[in-house]
Amino acid sequence: MAIRTGSRRARGRNQAPGLPWILPAMALVVGLIYYAIGDTFYISTLDWNGVSPFAEEVGAGNFAKMFADPVFWQSLTHTAVFFVCTFALQTLIGFTFAAILHTEVKLRTVHKVIVFLPTVLAPATMAPTFRLLFSDAGMLNDILRGIGLDKLAHPWLADPNTALPTIMLITVWQWTGMTFILYYASMSQIDSDILEAARLDGAGNFRVLSAIVWPSCRGTTTVMAILGFIGALKTFDVPWLVTVGGPNHATEFLGTYIYRQGIRNSHVGYAAAISLALLVLAVAGAILMTLNNRRQAK
Amino acid sequence: MTKKLKRTMAALAAAAVTAAGLTACAGPSGGTGAEDDVAPAGTDAEASIIWYGWTPGPPATDNYIKAFNEMYPNIKVEWKQVDIDGYNAAVRPAIASDSSPDVYQMSAGSANGGAVIFGDSALDLTNDVKNLLGDDWRSKFSAVAIDTMTVNDRLVALAAGMVYAGNLWINQDIFDKYGLTAPTTLDEWKTVCATLESNGVGCFVQGVAQGAFDIDTLHAIAEQVEPGWFDKALTGQAKWTDEQWVQTLELWKRLFDEGIMQDGAAGLMQYPEVNNAFLAQEYAMVMMGTWYTMYVQPETMKQAMEAAGVADPVPFTITPIMLPDLVGKGNTGHLFADPDYANGVSAKSKNVAAAKAFTLWYSARPEGQQAIADSLNLLPVLSGVTPNWDNIELVNPEVQESAVKDLFEVAESSTSQRFGGISADMNDALVVTAQSVATGQATPQQAAETLQSTADSL
Repeated sequence: MAIRTGSRRARGRNQAPGLPWILPAMALVVGLIYYAIGDTFYISTLDWNGVSPFAEEVGAGNFAKMFADPVFWQSLTHTAVFFVCTFALQTLIGFTFAAILHTEVKLRTVHKVIVFLPTVLAPATMAPTFRLLFSDAGMLNDILRGIGLDKLAHPWLADPNTALPTIMLITVWQWTGMTFILYYASMSQIDSDILEAARLDGAGNFRVLSAIVWPSCRGTTTVMAILGFIGALKTFDVPWLVTVGGPNHATEFLGTYIYRQGIRNSHVGYAAAISLALLVLAVAGAILMTLNNRRQAK
Repeated sequence: MTKKLKRTMAALAAAAVTAAGLTACAGPSGGTGAEDDVAPAGTDAEASIIWYGWTPGPPATDNYIKAFNEMYPNIKVEWKQVDIDGYNAAVRPAIASDSSPDVYQMSAGSANGGAVIFGDSALDLTNDVKNLLGDDWRSKFSAVAIDTMTVNDRLVALAAGMVYAGNLWINQDIFDKYGLTAPTTLDEWKTVCATLESNGVGCFVQGVAQGAFDIDTLHAIAEQVEPGWFDKALTGQAKWTDEQWVQTLELWKRLFDEGIMQDGAAGLMQYPEVNNAFLAQEYAMVMMGTWYTMYVQPETMKQAMEAAGVADPVPFTITPIMLPDLVGKGNTGHLFADPDYANGVSAKSKNVAAAKAFTLWYSARPEGQQAIADSLNLLPVLSGVTPNWDNIELVNPEVQESAVKDLFEVAESSTSQRFGGISADMNDALVVTAQSVATGQATPQQAAETLQSTADSL
């Protein structure tokens, strides 16, 4: 028997109108987020130190300055490299761990906890440890020297060529647990009949993973890509706490550069302009990735 | 009006109220606050004030408050310490709020809490100082202390004391143990380092990742190349591409290439890492200014060593030395100064009289300045006040008293500013110069050209 849903007219009579229900949330969103965006846009047109009652209107001057600022482009490049590398590594490791822990491996719960644990540790508490670990006289170099790999010992954070990869490594260590748990949950949703059918058809482990499991996790991958992209744009805590964006801006990101300009150098208007650029990139990136995923799904 | 329209209006009204509430907290806004008289000394009137800053912290701040309460027993001062790197971020909303701290610290130029930025939210103290010290009040202070805290003809803060940079400190006990004397030239410095390192002791340590100290070292080298040239370049009277600066950068690079700077210096922070390493006696030499003088006192040294993670600390002898002569011209012993910090009275303070009383006691009364002088953390800004050596306990009086007196004598003859003349953007540019040369990303010539082009654009 088909169930009839009420007509629009009938629903209107029987259900409470929606606006009052969403009003508190809407007021909060409009009042806090959209107002803040509007205010940031206004501040981006000022030459203002953030404290003074006096501010000079500069129009689009801060945006012109931003496009001509090599450190802004350097930060953007670091953000792009950071996103590509950390997303690829986290996806590879997280997916692999999730697949392995879906097999009959011993001490699965212990493994899950170990992989996920770094995710719950605050970067502020871990930063001093990483500074020690990767310093010239640090534990990593001690280990390398101890096993005869003296030539690989290196002041990892002091060299502009290795500082950014080190920051990426720390991020991968910290966030792979989250990728793993999402893939693990996603894999749990795959119909076991499909997997059994594939096995009966003679598919090996790699074939099952690449042809069935991976496509089934596409939604998770897309979400991870969007979150990773936005996370990369917002990256602040690890590079600031571990390298302060240095040496020589080698680990400068948009987030650290906004803080440097807005708080340290008191160029609040300029920092607001970079913040808006970050917002535009975040929204544009999220839309593009979603559209791409929909196209692939079709 | 239809129901739909009413609902829409209600939604818009709610959004408008929320937005209006937020508007009050954001964007440029003015405000000067009341300018009350200073509370008279010994007043019975009770008051409680909050003092916000990043330095020096307990036990020094506790001692200052205790000394202040001998004159003002009924004014309670609560010290709130903020991490030096987070100070700008913390003080900005604090002084804009209705629960603003009564007294907050500022500093000169591009250092944190710069008076040029944060002075707008402070009361002008000119008349209060004039009332206390008379019309010739300016002559009673160190000139740099007043100049750096005067913004738009307003005395926005009173410097607590001066710090001078450009010198080094050595662990005298380690030097004595290996029969070493303080190096006076680059060659001697290399020999000292070779001896120390062959005995498993680090030689010289500096946190190049914390840019302010890079500027100190570069400034000190530039003074050796040509005294006064650095100030000329900062004020546009000389070009950063001049041979003096290129030579300065070449000498800076030699410190890294010839094993004076420890490996990985570009990744180290001066605070806490370098400070901790020196206090843990892992290194025998460190680049620190006159603020390090407080560690000639055993109790202060002991507490600092504990904070640096040293178990069962036994204070050791530190002595100041000048940066060895890297150029060979004999131009050594140049120091440069800034007020380490200054106290300003917030325009939003609800206890202005008490806040002014505290600020003036700190900087303009001999009692306050004596407490500053005796802490050996800073050099007093008020003329005629000197440390009372009879009341100061030293780790090794025979060695340290004369060494510190000599340092102070050199310091007091200094006329060059430390960060007072350096804007935040110029500070960034100098740090980039230092780090790009140190890490080999740019030659001294290239870095000098980049710096000049940045300076031209500011």
